[in-house]
Amino acid sequence: MSNTMNFLKRIFLVDILKGLAVTFRYTFKSVYTEQYPKEKPKLAERYKGAPRLNNDPETGETLCIACDLCAQICPEDLIVVGSQRDPESRKKVLTHYTFDTSRCLFCGLCQEVCPTNAIELTQDFELATYSRSSMLWDRERLEKGWDRIEFGKNYHK
Amino acid sequence: MIENLIIYFLIPFIKIGAIVLILSGAIAYLTLLERKLIAHIQVRLGPMRVGWHGLLQPIADGLKFVLKEDIVPSKADALIFTLAPMISLIPAFVVFSVVPFGPPGMFEGLLRGILSRFLESASVERIVSNPIASGGFVTDINIAVLFVLSVSSVGILGVILGGWASNSKYPLLGALRSSAQMVSYEVAMGFAIISVLLYAGSLSLVEIVQQQQAGGWWYFFIQPVAFFLLLVCGMAETNRLPFDLPEAETELVGGFHTEYSGFRFSLFFLAEYANMITVSALAVTLFWGGWLPPFPNVPWLGFLGIIPPVAWFLIKVFLILYLFIWVRGTLPRFRFDQLMNYGWKVFLPIALGHVILYAAILAI
Amino acid sequence: MNTLEESTVLDTKVLEMNMGPQHPSTHGVLRVKLKLDGEKVVDAECIIGYLHRGIEKISENRSYIECVPYYDRTDYIAAVANVYGFLLGVEKMMGIEVPERGRYIRIMMVEFNRIASHLLWLATHAIDIGAMTVFLYCFREREEILKLFEALFGARLTTHAFRVGGLWKDLPPGFEQAAHKFLDEFPARVDEYEQLLTHNRIWLARTKGIGVISGKEAIQWGLTGPPLRGSGVDYDLRKARPYGGYEEFEFDVPLGENGDTYDRYVARIEEMRQSRLIIQQVLKRLPGGPVRGKAPKIVKPPAGEYYSGTESPRGELGYYIVSDGSAQPFRVKIRPPTFIGLQALRRLVKGHLMADVIAIIGTLDIVLGEVDR
Repeated sequence: MSNTMNFLKRIFLVDILKGLAVTFRYTFKSVYTEQYPKEKPKLAERYKGAPRLNNDPETGETLCIACDLCAQICPEDLIVVGSQRDPESRKKVLTHYTFDTSRCLFCGLCQEVCPTNAIELTQDFELATYSRSSMLWDRERLEKGWDRIEFGKNYHK
Repeated sequence: MIENLIIYFLIPFIKIGAIVLILSGAIAYLTLLERKLIAHIQVRLGPMRVGWHGLLQPIADGLKFVLKEDIVPSKADALIFTLAPMISLIPAFVVFSVVPFGPPGMFEGLLRGILSRFLESASVERIVSNPIASGGFVTDINIAVLFVLSVSSVGILGVILGGWASNSKYPLLGALRSSAQMVSYEVAMGFAIISVLLYAGSLSLVEIVQQQQAGGWWYFFIQPVAFFLLLVCGMAETNRLPFDLPEAETELVGGFHTEYSGFRFSLFFLAEYANMITVSALAVTLFWGGWLPPFPNVPWLGFLGIIPPVAWFLIKVFLILYLFIWVRGTLPRFRFDQLMNYGWKVFLPIALGHVILYAAILAI
Repeated sequence: MNTLEESTVLDTKVLEMNMGPQHPSTHGVLRVKLKLDGEKVVDAECIIGYLHRGIEKISENRSYIECVPYYDRTDYIAAVANVYGFLLGVEKMMGIEVPERGRYIRIMMVEFNRIASHLLWLATHAIDIGAMTVFLYCFREREEILKLFEALFGARLTTHAFRVGGLWKDLPPGFEQAAHKFLDEFPARVDEYEQLLTHNRIWLARTKGIGVISGKEAIQWGLTGPPLRGSGVDYDLRKARPYGGYEEFEFDVPLGENGDTYDRYVARIEEMRQSRLIIQQVLKRLPGGPVRGKAPKIVKPPAGEYYSGTESPRGELGYYIVSDGSAQPFRVKIRPPTFIGLQALRRLVKGHLMADVIAIIGTLDIVLGEVDR
């Protein structure tokens, strides 16, 4: 009996018709994909994207205390922190900060070790540029967002 | 004199021009249809950027093909390399000269209206009464089926030559595969058609459709197996999945057209889709009653006649094309030896047995 | 008469063909030098190294914490499982205890990664054989898993999933619901793949009896993971040498019989279902508490050697860590499952047709990042 059934199933291409039924059902289902440049994806809170150097929202001063921990933990050694001791208050003051995004692994170790949450990896992910040199971010770019400076765009905030 | 010029020269030229133009457009939009349909099968949207829902995409693609750099590999046989895409494309178009889109006498009213302004009524009637001038086809020859089969197999030469002239290993393998595949499936396809011919008793495609009208049944209902065979062999002939071995992109990169780019590639591309339309049109004409509505002689279905015959033809062709695309979106690909096995050991015996069976039935 | 016979037989030559490194279905930059007689494979030679980045050497110049993100990039399809294997070794060397919640979440994410990896394998394997719709369906489900990764780890592919002593952060809000939703829908989706492939006569014709290898021979070639289990050898490190708490969960190890491409396919499909069961058990029993145990800021394992073997989606993934007592490993030797599995390719493809080479490369589930490191 089952042999006959199997034979009939083979003759009438049941296996193939089943497959066709699956694809036919999907033809009229709603699509899954996003229309990327038009629709921006909603990234998770924790997404490790473009770096940012945070300022204190009240005073507008940088949160970075130039402790150099991020530069030390970075596997690629791509962070360079420049500091100077303030002769009066004897505190370390940040002079410059560069972040080489061309070599970044986006592992997030820098933001983990940062004691003041100054360096942070944000949800921005559109990091493509036209030149290698523009992948080296200086302190201004890190604080203001790079594409605002590069192209005058302001669609992130 | 002038009537003959009009009948055998002017009107066919206008029809041919119209067919070439319409067919090119149809092919272009068939590519879009395929991309869209496959995309929706795969829960995505397909081309969306150029025009509303990508409606201008074929035009953009065509422009891109034309504007691309024309590359001939330095070790290729330049003459044959250039010739191959044309050999592939031209037969695909030529076949349409015998495919009937509408019934004979379809353009009678139109012709009479136009010609009566320029000619006296006697010669107008002579022109209009000529079936070739007023029919919904370029020409009606009494060996149309043979013509279709022979011309479409010339197109294979283009594939073989293109693969060979590229002087590269992947295209060579693709060309070898296609020559074997197309030759072997042509045989089964021929036998599938023969059973229809036995029934209709004519080789003219117009005549075959008229026979279906007279009989009141599409041949599909009489010979479903032959229809299935024609469809499967048609898929193999036109290199569609699951038989797209000559251009199996995951095995042979691009198959026979690996080395082609730009405009020449687009000719191969056009040829493939033109062949798809040819096979669909042939299947519709032979099995689905061409321009006829379903069950043409059933009185209470007469209201279906308000849809013009050409529209019926196009709807049916579209359905078969849809099937082609749908199958492509579902099935995996055969292996080369399995394909040959199926061709010679399954389809050919079935087709042969089918022909013998029907011959016996008809004889009795 | 002999001369006549000889003259009618045309001389044929073996065609030497390069498949890859730029070929749509060599899964990256594998180059296979094929010797073809017609379409029949006479011989095949794998040429690897196009993606070599020297990750083992890089590890020697980084601290234990710093070199973790690099192991994401060996087998980037199963990044979570790779990091897991290394960290297990480091934690064992230092005697660090991971809190129970951390342990459970780790197992859950590794199993999610196993599903994602197998989905990618199925997708590419199917499209290699021509079924392109399965490709996109698999990617849709994989996308759901990657979204979970993104929510928890902050990255989708190279996740830098775990830290020494546990996880970076606890599960984000809504994670468990999303995971449950995925797990509830998943079996129906797998059934759909099976409807499209498992019983399809073309798929059967393309996979049954292709690349057959017996269990004994598979062991001799050093195959591990699904290629080994497809040949009927019951060897899964999660069962054979449990680590990280796998002994607490119930699951089956699916085995094949014939050792052909189809059996390996079935084994992997079943493994996805088993992984789902493990995740459901984890979610059911997920305890509270911290996810990260006490771990020193600077990781300095005592001098010595340790081999950490885990069952990555591709097979036995080994990290042989040699410490000289400093903060940087003296040597890290990775045992990549597919690098060792790839050597069997030559044995598997001999005598098959060219189209089967693609199927066999697919069934070995190689990742060139791991093969070349």
